[in-house]
Amino acid sequence: MKTRLRVNGEEREVDAPRGATLLSVLRDDLGLTGTRFGCGAGQCGACYVLADGRAVASCLLTLDQAQAMEITTIEGLAAKGTLSPVQEAFAAEDAMQCGYCTGGMIVSATALLARDPHPSDQAIRDALAGNLCRCGVYVRAIRAVKRAAEGGR
Amino acid sequence: MSGWGERAPERVEERIRVQPDGTITALSGKVEFGQGIRTAFAQLVADEMGVPIERVRVVLGDTAQVPWDIGTFGSRSVAQEAPALRRAAAYARELIAKGKAVEGVVPDDVPLRPRSEWRYVGTPTRRLEAGDIVRGSAAYVADLRVANMAHAAVVRPPVRGAKAGRVDDRAARAMRGVLAIVRDGDLVAVVAEREDQARAAADAVEVEWATTAPRTMERLVIPMRDDGGVDEALAAAARTLSASFSLPPISNAPIGPSAAVADVGDDSATIFAGTQRPFGLREQIARAVGLEETRVRVIAAMPSGTYGRNSTGDAAVEAALISKRAGRPIHLQWSRAEEFALAPARPEAYMEVAAALDAAGRITAWRYDEHTNAHSGAGLDPRVLPMTSGRNAIPHYRLGRARVTLHVEPTPLRTASFRSLAAAENIFAIESFMDELAHLATREPLAFRLAHVEDERLRRVYERVAANAAWGRRVGEGRGLGIAGTIYHGTYVAEVAEVEVDASGRVRLVRAWAAIDPGLTLNPDGVRNQTEGGIQQSASWTLYEALRHRDGRVVNAGWDTYPIATFRDAPEAIEVDVMGDASQPSTGVGEPGAVCISAAIGNAVFAARGVRVRDLPMTPERVRA
Ligand code: FES
Ligand code: FES
Repeated sequence: MKTRLRVNGEEREVDAPRGATLLSVLRDDLGLTGTRFGCGAGQCGACYVLADGRAVASCLLTLDQAQAMEITTIEGLAAKGTLSPVQEAFAAEDAMQCGYCTGGMIVSATALLARDPHPSDQAIRDALAGNLCRCGVYVRAIRAVKRAAEGGR
Repeated sequence: MSGWGERAPERVEERIRVQPDGTITALSGKVEFGQGIRTAFAQLVADEMGVPIERVRVVLGDTAQVPWDIGTFGSRSVAQEAPALRRAAAYARELIAKGKAVEGVVPDDVPLRPRSEWRYVGTPTRRLEAGDIVRGSAAYVADLRVANMAHAAVVRPPVRGAKAGRVDDRAARAMRGVLAIVRDGDLVAVVAEREDQARAAADAVEVEWATTAPRTMERLVIPMRDDGGVDEALAAAARTLSASFSLPPISNAPIGPSAAVADVGDDSATIFAGTQRPFGLREQIARAVGLEETRVRVIAAMPSGTYGRNSTGDAAVEAALISKRAGRPIHLQWSRAEEFALAPARPEAYMEVAAALDAAGRITAWRYDEHTNAHSGAGLDPRVLPMTSGRNAIPHYRLGRARVTLHVEPTPLRTASFRSLAAAENIFAIESFMDELAHLATREPLAFRLAHVEDERLRRVYERVAANAAWGRRVGEGRGLGIAGTIYHGTYVAEVAEVEVDASGRVRLVRAWAAIDPGLTLNPDGVRNQTEGGIQQSASWTLYEALRHRDGRVVNAGWDTYPIATFRDAPEAIEVDVMGDASQPSTGVGEPGAVCISAAIGNAVFAARGVRVRDLPMTPERVRA
């Protein structure tokens, strides 16, 4: 059963059960492994993607639900290979250790800055509260989001 | 290091290869899991060979390419490996300068480049993987895909170690996408086209499990220091104090659960695994699948950050056995619940401390009994236990007469290495108790510690962190400052915590400071990042975490029941002062940051509220009490 899906600005055709999670379709059918599995229960943020501009857990969306949406994954944020301001800021602040959570954080931060270009500290913490990081890079990540908001300093 | 015999002479071509296009390949059996060693190694090879860092490619942990290695643990990767890589790079440069081939035994006295000619070492350098990570193109173990690969899920017994009896897989076989149900001894697994199909079918397989009675485990008592006459000195002293401290078991809790990709054929096998011991895992897998070690290739791929737990190769061994039985490459991804329930944890610990003070407020006697379980994969080997379960049990202070005893008391909970092993529990107890003693002696806590410090480098980190945190200043209502320090595997570290305790007893870490001296420092920002992470992670252990289990069976196996610190709990800042003594050898930085903050937080809570919390985690109920 083929389903059409809009991912990173392209129309893609996927041969997967309609009840499959968007996360598994991205990773196993489309080869977009930058969206990561962490819990499968919407509790960690590793799998976040932009769906119509909002950061959502792709482990909780089915392929069926996702086909009505415009999906952007971490791979879709760098336009023509140039890092987005948020990606650039995370790299510049070295706001990562293992980096497993980083894509999800960048997705949340991108959605935040689109609706609130100059967020307060608290707004950043709230917007990224769903992104768990076991390596403990929160302080750096907050700095990175601010840096992106300030246009790279 | 003793116990593993003499190393064979180092050959330069095992470590440095010059490619036809002029790029340099540096090879090491160490692995990268977020601690930044790829970058550190590239820095020192680039400096020693005098080439731009962009020309250096570092290959880590591929058993088909790199020299044998014991494994990456104990913060010691850089410390052990750097000198060998550096010598090889220096020799390679010498050979190239002479127009010779890059091969042969590296002479012990190969001249190294003077520090004045270094360009990268000691300078903040952006992590080499940073670009791939922010683009989402960095490949972790779970991201690897090989041709003809299928997905697997394991049928789990109700308790670990149960024996599989009859298997009824009729319902599972009929399910969509199912390719095979395989069995290897007590391992029963489903292989399917898609991961969710494998998992759904695994739930439908009925296995008759026979649970075995847990074997009674032996207790071990290991004397670590005994100066004699300690009990007498305590009995005779004018002022004594005693207290006990406890820590619950906690989970490594990596954000990405274990995963592996295995392709096991009749006469060879390739395994991608998030391992800290690629060569140890190769041996384990060779034995499990019945192949010669030389026929097995283990490639250490990036795991999600993991803090010791990956010294066990669980998922990789399972994937290898399933692949062998299924006759095709297998991708195995553990679920979140499997990770919490099956991964080894840091064991619980209970410490009893007593000490005596003389009239001048000096410690004259010290008695310390630590009760815990195995803290490493080395298990219950009494020769290893003082360094693992007993790590940092002996304080770095002048104590008068001291007796330190380690009691290893196994429980059914599976345990293994976790960042800093038992140092976290011991320093929590010792540094909390030092604070209590300071109050008994009516001395200011930092001054009391310094009066007992013998080591100059320890004194320096204490003084520096105190200056940076403006130690002694007045903080607001409901706030407090606490300090703690130690020497961890040769790295000197002291930390200050500023906390706020609200009316409900909820503790917030407002700010943290660290001063760290890891000797010669390759990448100061890498040290800062690791230390910050250690503080953040350890603050989470201290304030929120406890793994609950019944007879070894974990009952809180999800993020909803095992919460960790989130962005909302992060401190406003973590200020790390890297003050490495460049005349001293490099020591580890991955773990020391995590060691002191529990006690610093506890001491700060005492300063804020006058409540001494001796049991972790510091929940509001305990702080209110
Ligand atoms: S994997 Fe989706 S939120 Fe954790
Ligand atoms: S950087 Fe490792 S989990 Fe966040």
